Amino acid sequence: MIAARALIARAAPWLACLGLLGAWQAAALIINTDSFPTAWEAIRAIPSILGDKESLINILASLRRMAIGFGAAVIVSIPLGLMMGRSRAVAAFFNPLLMVTYPVPKAALMPIIMLWLGVGDIAKMLVIFLGVSLPVIYHSFQGAKAVEEKMLWSGAAMGLWAPQRMIRIVLPAALPEILTGCRTGLVLALITMVTSEMIARQSGAGNILFNALDMGQYDTVYAMIIIIGAMGIGLDAAFENLRGRLVKWSEPGFEIPLSFA
Amino acid sequence: MNPRAVTSDVLLGIVPIALSVALWQTIVSFGYAPVTLLPPPGHVFMRLAQQLATSEFQQEIAATLFRLFTGFSIAVILGVTVGLAAAASPAINAVVRPIVRVLAPLPKVALYPALLLLLGFGHESKITLVAADALFPILLSTYYGASMVEQKLIWSAMAAGTPRGQILFKVVLPAAVPSILTGCRIGLVISCIVVFLAEMITSTDGLGHLLVTAARTFQAVDMFVPLITISLLGLILNGLLQGLRSYLLRGFPEV
Repeated sequence: MIAARALIARAAPWLACLGLLGAWQAAALIINTDSFPTAWEAIRAIPSILGDKESLINILASLRRMAIGFGAAVIVSIPLGLMMGRSRAVAAFFNPLLMVTYPVPKAALMPIIMLWLGVGDIAKMLVIFLGVSLPVIYHSFQGAKAVEEKMLWSGAAMGLWAPQRMIRIVLPAALPEILTGCRTGLVLALITMVTSEMIARQSGAGNILFNALDMGQYDTVYAMIIIIGAMGIGLDAAFENLRGRLVKWSEPGFEIPLSFA
Repeated sequence: MNPRAVTSDVLLGIVPIALSVALWQTIVSFGYAPVTLLPPPGHVFMRLAQQLATSEFQQEIAATLFRLFTGFSIAVILGVTVGLAAAASPAINAVVRPIVRVLAPLPKVALYPALLLLLGFGHESKITLVAADALFPILLSTYYGASMVEQKLIWSAMAAGTPRGQILFKVVLPAAVPSILTGCRIGLVISCIVVFLAEMITSTDGLGHLLVTAARTFQAVDMFVPLITISLLGLILNGLLQGLRSYLLRGFPEV
């Protein structure tokens, strides 16, 4: 009985996928216009996109930019967030700046950054970097703030000096929260990647998507939507898996990332 | 926190903003960047003040705000309803949970071309995109807030004779309000971002459209104006929501 229940729980997301695709298929059959192909038609267009060498290179280039932007953002943001969480002065210094920049759509900076750095990889990676940093900083900040003082005191009493306490106590204690931030950042990186490529149409998955839209290749549009959607769901699931391994000891507060845009 | 510490925090917080504006000014005045690429901050803020007074610019802001509010309201209504329903009924939960699990990490911007094709280039597609993006944080925080309501509260309400059907609205909903408002805050920031992006992709009005037009004609000053405007709008809306929060939660122990 328990096994059957676990099986259902594991299969539920797949069933949900199938259900959504089925709903799409039904809606497309009812509406029946050229600009809304059925789910099956869209799925059939996927192999021709993934089989095409040029579009495959485009998609891989997108992923590479995303990985670099995301990696750089995580490396910079976690230490900054942890320091903000442990020092009131640092927090007071950076908080208003972050508050002001939070509602600015990072991909909207693309046209300006393009003026400075050109339409190449660097501009796009910078935009992804900016988009990912904020949630990671914010969650690391919250995580570090919530670390129990007593643990730090005992660490200090046992002769750890400040940077050691940071690495050996604050970092592991804040890790669940940091990973929540990274997960948010991951989805955000994907969104920023698509939008930045849509604004600077030069290469990448977003470029294929919006060029197909402009040229009226509706199959390709919907196939690319499925591919990008699958990337989002796949990356999120992979990250969740990794998170489960790294912080097995902590009950996940939220199963699904709460904040992203 | 005593007022003096707050003042010093505010002062400390102004420093990096002032520093970045100062850095911006130095880069321009020492000629590291040509004025066409990076206009001096004075120019940008002058231009912003000028624009804010014109009725065309106000109309653009109004268009953006209309989409933002409509989308956000739809997201709040849907999110709170579905979130509460999922927390209250195991059957609904079993259906909603896997669907949310699949849809939440989906990058919604990628859906925008489909929305354009289906709903046209007008308000509808943008409002739907805003609602779709803001929905999930609100839904999830409602759900978690409602499912973490202390069982004792429900028991005591039942012992006091509250009918079963009313417990949801009299106990669970008020107890979940702090969490719902946190979700709304995230959803609001997301709405600001998404409405701007949607307007940048295809639009004939709104702040995002202003930015794109300025970028196409290489008017650097006009590119900064809509960006600063959306940032200000975000701050103002966030402040309003904060006010609403402290009003709604005036009885709660920690706000």
